[in-house]
Amino acid sequence: MLRYISRRVLSAVPLLFGLLTITFFIIRLAPGDPVSLYIQSDVDPQYANNLREALGLADPLPVQYVKWLKGTLTGELGMSFSKHTEVTRILAQTIPNTILLTFFALCFNFILGIIIGIITALKRGSAVDHAVNITSLFVYSMPEFWLGLMLILGVSLHLGILPASGMHAPMAKYLSMPEYVWDVFKHMILPVFVLGVASAAATGRYMRGSLLEVINQDYVRTARAKGLSEFLVIGKHALRNALIPIITLLGLSLPFLLGGAVIVETVFSWPGMGKLTIDAIFSRDYPLIIACTMVSGVMVILGNLVADVLYALVDPRIRYE
Amino acid sequence: MSPRYLFVALLCCGLLVSCGNKSGEKDPMGETAVVALSGDADNLNPVVANSSTSADIQGSIYPTMFDVTFNMREGKLEFEPSLVTSWEFANEGKDVILHIRPDVRWEDGILVTPQDIKFSYELYGDPEVASPRRSYLESMIQTNDKFDVDKSIEIIDDTTMIFHFTRQYPLQLFHLNLSPVPRHIYRNADRKTLRANPANEHPIGAGPFKLEEWTRQQQIVLTRNNNSTLPYPAKLERVIFRVISEPTTRLTELKKGEIDIMRPVYPEDVSDIQENNPNIKLQTLPPRSYEYIGWSNIDVKEYQASGKKNILPHPLFGDRRVRQALTYAINRKGILDDQLGPYGELAVTDFSPVFRWAIQHDLIPYPYDPERARQLLRASGWSDSNGDGVLDKGGKDFEFTLYYNVGNKRREYVATMVQENLKQVGIKVTLQSVEPVVLYQNIEAKKYDAFIAGFSVGLAIDPADRWGDINSPFNTVGFQNKRVAELLKLGLHVATERDAGPFWKEIQAILHQEQPCTFMYWVKDIVGVNRRLKHTNVNILGVTDHMWDWMIGDPNSAVTY
Repeated sequence: MLRYISRRVLSAVPLLFGLLTITFFIIRLAPGDPVSLYIQSDVDPQYANNLREALGLADPLPVQYVKWLKGTLTGELGMSFSKHTEVTRILAQTIPNTILLTFFALCFNFILGIIIGIITALKRGSAVDHAVNITSLFVYSMPEFWLGLMLILGVSLHLGILPASGMHAPMAKYLSMPEYVWDVFKHMILPVFVLGVASAAATGRYMRGSLLEVINQDYVRTARAKGLSEFLVIGKHALRNALIPIITLLGLSLPFLLGGAVIVETVFSWPGMGKLTIDAIFSRDYPLIIACTMVSGVMVILGNLVADVLYALVDPRIRYE
Repeated sequence: MSPRYLFVALLCCGLLVSCGNKSGEKDPMGETAVVALSGDADNLNPVVANSSTSADIQGSIYPTMFDVTFNMREGKLEFEPSLVTSWEFANEGKDVILHIRPDVRWEDGILVTPQDIKFSYELYGDPEVASPRRSYLESMIQTNDKFDVDKSIEIIDDTTMIFHFTRQYPLQLFHLNLSPVPRHIYRNADRKTLRANPANEHPIGAGPFKLEEWTRQQQIVLTRNNNSTLPYPAKLERVIFRVISEPTTRLTELKKGEIDIMRPVYPEDVSDIQENNPNIKLQTLPPRSYEYIGWSNIDVKEYQASGKKNILPHPLFGDRRVRQALTYAINRKGILDDQLGPYGELAVTDFSPVFRWAIQHDLIPYPYDPERARQLLRASGWSDSNGDGVLDKGGKDFEFTLYYNVGNKRREYVATMVQENLKQVGIKVTLQSVEPVVLYQNIEAKKYDAFIAGFSVGLAIDPADRWGDINSPFNTVGFQNKRVAELLKLGLHVATERDAGPFWKEIQAILHQEQPCTFMYWVKDIVGVNRRLKHTNVNILGVTDHMWDWMIGDPNSAVTY
């Protein structure tokens, strides 16, 4: 197993390198000069040229590439153009915020999704099944920004029970520890709900299908026949097999943990990776775009690896040697 | 899940939420005002900062040379003492003698001296620093095309310094109003990387506020600088700038009272706020930015193909009568009424109506008159000879592509209306939306025949960067006019602003006649202010002007200022 993991990790290195190289050239060849953004009515025309030199954009492309490569290999991700500070510092500030949001959203998504899946599978064809199915479809097709805005208007503005934006109250640092945690928790409820609920609807559908398939298999009938309680039959025998496709889903969702959620982060002003990436792209902040791509790239590769490893853990038939 | 569990779960949630509200009652913040930002500041060092957000915030942290106000009645900037206590002109106005206050201290206790000011100007003028405000120093003494700090700035003693200019001109004081930074902090800083210098994140200023905290993408917190004597410590304990990029979310926070000031409020939200949120006061800012439809006066294809050498009239828009016809054919008033209503004003030229003394009041805005447009087009040789509904001349149809930025609803609407209006007079317009960065870059490079764009004017009249010559940085339509160039020279070399009035008026008359572009309308931003915030001074300089006088009071009491 360890050999398998290390082989996968090693083979990921050229992949990541290729990804970043392609990103490097794509963003520089794409139209839109970062310097042109900073030109305003009261700005010296010479300023653009000076700035281009200061940002290292005056060099020919291959030279820029070699410089960047050298930097990246030595762990220097460079200075952000738009935020005037080191990219590593920005990432260090942003990644925890994103993980906080996405981790809870993922938990919410899978816990709710699995519960929905189990209920609808067990009550197949009943009114509950239909009702949940219709609701899931409804929620799933709802655009995130719309749901977010509706919740802000309803829960936050009219009912006034939850905050509408940000990660904590403006002066949260003066709160005591439990108050601070509570404050952040309150700020998280709406974004986590919006992020999780639509995916939960999808997860629920997967879970339902997968459980239905398993329930009809011989070994489940055998388990029932030998007189096990229904709880044990489903919980111990059926569920474990039914969860395999869900694990794939979980693994594939991992990039989202660090990639962030652009729309929800924007609507709720959550200072995370998704919003950072978008801002970086719109301001042609090359070093920051590359860094964000790197984070997502690493997560995609890791996510796939984790999913494969989890397979082996849940399903003893799968062996990697 | 059984209904009983659901009920218990809901009950728990309810309890938790109500507990939370209780703990929120005690206000840990003291007297705090919250300002909404749509985007984060880029930098808090005034030498390199770029965004207007940064400018709004720095003004309260760093010392200001003058206390600047904009006199709306007169329509001009006025300078009152601040770090500079008094000033006089000498040597036919080419020298400005500044008397500096001797008793102002940086936050860390060190005196603010003329050396700090000279050093700061050296930074502003250094090409390696690449300050966006380097051009302010252009009319001081230059050596080899570079700002010469030693020849330009002379320190006489601890409170007196002389700035040497190459000429007298109206904007001298404006150009002397760059905020100084502490020399003892930045003396050894690497110039090339000044914008990323770690000291920028912990500014040492001397103003009424100081920086308490800056969490990127989230908030910038200023607290009162108790030692400030410039002019005095802020009256509020704290002002927080919160980044909320989604407009609807921002508006919700304003309605909830979580933020106190927000700009802009959109015209479509005004009636809702007026009806349902009596605690919010809406104020309208005087117009500083306008939108226009650019018609390239020059043949852009030829211009680009010849490496910007061949300047020929544009095949469609090179004729002044055609440009006039286009303005007649577009229902500007209708578009304005639909989009902005009372929060806009039809634009005659690009001289903002706030500069009253400089405005040529005789000019009548072009009315919506499709018939007149048709006549003018006929007069310049355009007719529908093949009967396909589109005008043609010499076998070529009158058709072009109009570019505008994607995601801007107002401009999308304008584009559609222009397309529709021009169809009425037989002109075929294809619409093309473009990503903003790419759009502006192509506009600047003069690559488009026609486009929709906006422009913000400065607080002092300086039309040279738009209409100077074809290489003026913002002459996006390639307009050239000898008389305008002459008038610009005259207008920028007078002693006082007022003396330039006649020249500016003549330029407006020419612009009105020539229609280098179709000036659409001025936009008046709407600012929402929570009534609990008193002594705000929302004006053309911005929403944070004289922020140190803000106070929190009873929203129902009518405090005036």
